[in-house]
Amino acid sequence: MDLLAFGDTGWGDELGRAMLMTLAVALTAMALGLVIGALGATAKLAGAWPVRLAARLYTTIFRGIPELLIIYLFFFGSSGGAKWVLELFFDSVGYVEVDAFIIGALAVGLISGSYSTEIFRGAAIAVPRGQVEAGMAAGMSRGLILRRILAPQALRFALPGLGNVWQLTLKDTSLIMVTGLVELMRQSYVAAGSSREPFLFYIAAAAIYLGLTSVSGAGFRRAERWAGRGTQQGAGQ
Amino acid sequence: MTGGETETATPTLSVQGIEKKFGELQVLRGVSLDAHDGNVISMIGASGSGKSTFLRCINLLEIPDAGRLFLAGEEILLKPGRGGKMAPADRKQVDRIRARLGMVFQSFNLWSHMTILENIIEAPVHVLGQSKEEARATAYDLLAKVGIDDKADAYPASLSGGQQQRVAIARALAMTPDVLLFDEPTSALDPELVGEVLKVIRSLADEGRTMIIVTHEMKFARDVSDRVLFLHEGSIEEQGTPAEVFDTPQSPRCRQFLARG
Repeated sequence: MDLLAFGDTGWGDELGRAMLMTLAVALTAMALGLVIGALGATAKLAGAWPVRLAARLYTTIFRGIPELLIIYLFFFGSSGGAKWVLELFFDSVGYVEVDAFIIGALAVGLISGSYSTEIFRGAAIAVPRGQVEAGMAAGMSRGLILRRILAPQALRFALPGLGNVWQLTLKDTSLIMVTGLVELMRQSYVAAGSSREPFLFYIAAAAIYLGLTSVSGAGFRRAERWAGRGTQQGAGQ
Repeated sequence: MTGGETETATPTLSVQGIEKKFGELQVLRGVSLDAHDGNVISMIGASGSGKSTFLRCINLLEIPDAGRLFLAGEEILLKPGRGGKMAPADRKQVDRIRARLGMVFQSFNLWSHMTILENIIEAPVHVLGQSKEEARATAYDLLAKVGIDDKADAYPASLSGGQQQRVAIARALAMTPDVLLFDEPTSALDPELVGEVLKVIRSLADEGRTMIIVTHEMKFARDVSDRVLFLHEGSIEEQGTPAEVFDTPQSPRCRQFLARG
């Protein structure tokens, strides 16, 4: 157990920092995914046909390719891509290295967003038409209806699905160990190799992942109760 | 407020020659209606006769293919939109007009994530710009009026259908509308709850409110209306005072319809 201790003797503080990195990547990716998801769903539901087509291509591609492969494509494509963009503005730039955190958060965020898009789309459709019509009949503008009626009601239908997306997003961050970013998976791998106690460190990592998903799962259940206020599920709990 | 010079006052609501098609089905074939201040007009007819669609055209929940709409003399402008369908020329005008037309739906459509009180103050606060205190004070008065003063903090799902519909009426009244539109307000209610809702609507008629009511309650229509319109396949087949329409209908179809009821 000394190997897991904090301080110079063990890997405890390294694992703790790595856990924070995992959380930072996951939260950034999830936030990015939620923004993309809201835009994607709006595009699919209310966009002109080229916008709808673009949104469909996006969700088809990012849900249809293995996550690890997407991360590789971003990792190996990012340097060339960033160089190409920079050379639009500057003469010749040498080798460009994109930060591993940015690559990871972007790749996982785009994957996360492709699932969130479908969840938001389904949730918006699930809100009964009459709820929106009542707003229209009262003279509410489109923006007001979206903000005051459609969004809060769609959130009810979206939250269970978003809880799943969050867990997927959190777990997908383990794949970005291939970029060298020292998150929980990478740190466990390093510790396992260096101490020759792989099982110990992988079981420790598993416990930390499980802790993170359980705590956030409880958070989502609270959020669902709050969003479900006024419904049978939300009442009296 | 009638202009003394003119022979007839401007109608509060004037609807002229409304036509509406759903795909190939012609639902309305040129329906017109004038409602003056304080008029109560009932629309009756079989399912599919177009009466609900007509009511929904008045506040543009359905956009008519042809026809003109005036509220207190102001025309609601439509323009040809995509695919030859009409569209509002000015969305802001439509929102403004809708705020002056209260609507009560068959299935209540109370906002399920808001309490009863929040339902009533929502549009007065966010559309009319009333202060919350002002809107709340009005809301409590209206809840007392429709007999639901003890449920202000409850959510709609915990109320009976009759209570929900009375709240929906209070919600519409909170906007102090020029005209109230009722779309089969009792059709979704259990029979024993119909009476409490009709009682509230009747009291509004007695106050002299301008109302257009689509209904299947013949006795009620006869009691409260100044004028009754019978719709058949998208046209007004018969209209007149309740006595004329119910006692001496000219149209065979109207006679047939009333005999069935």
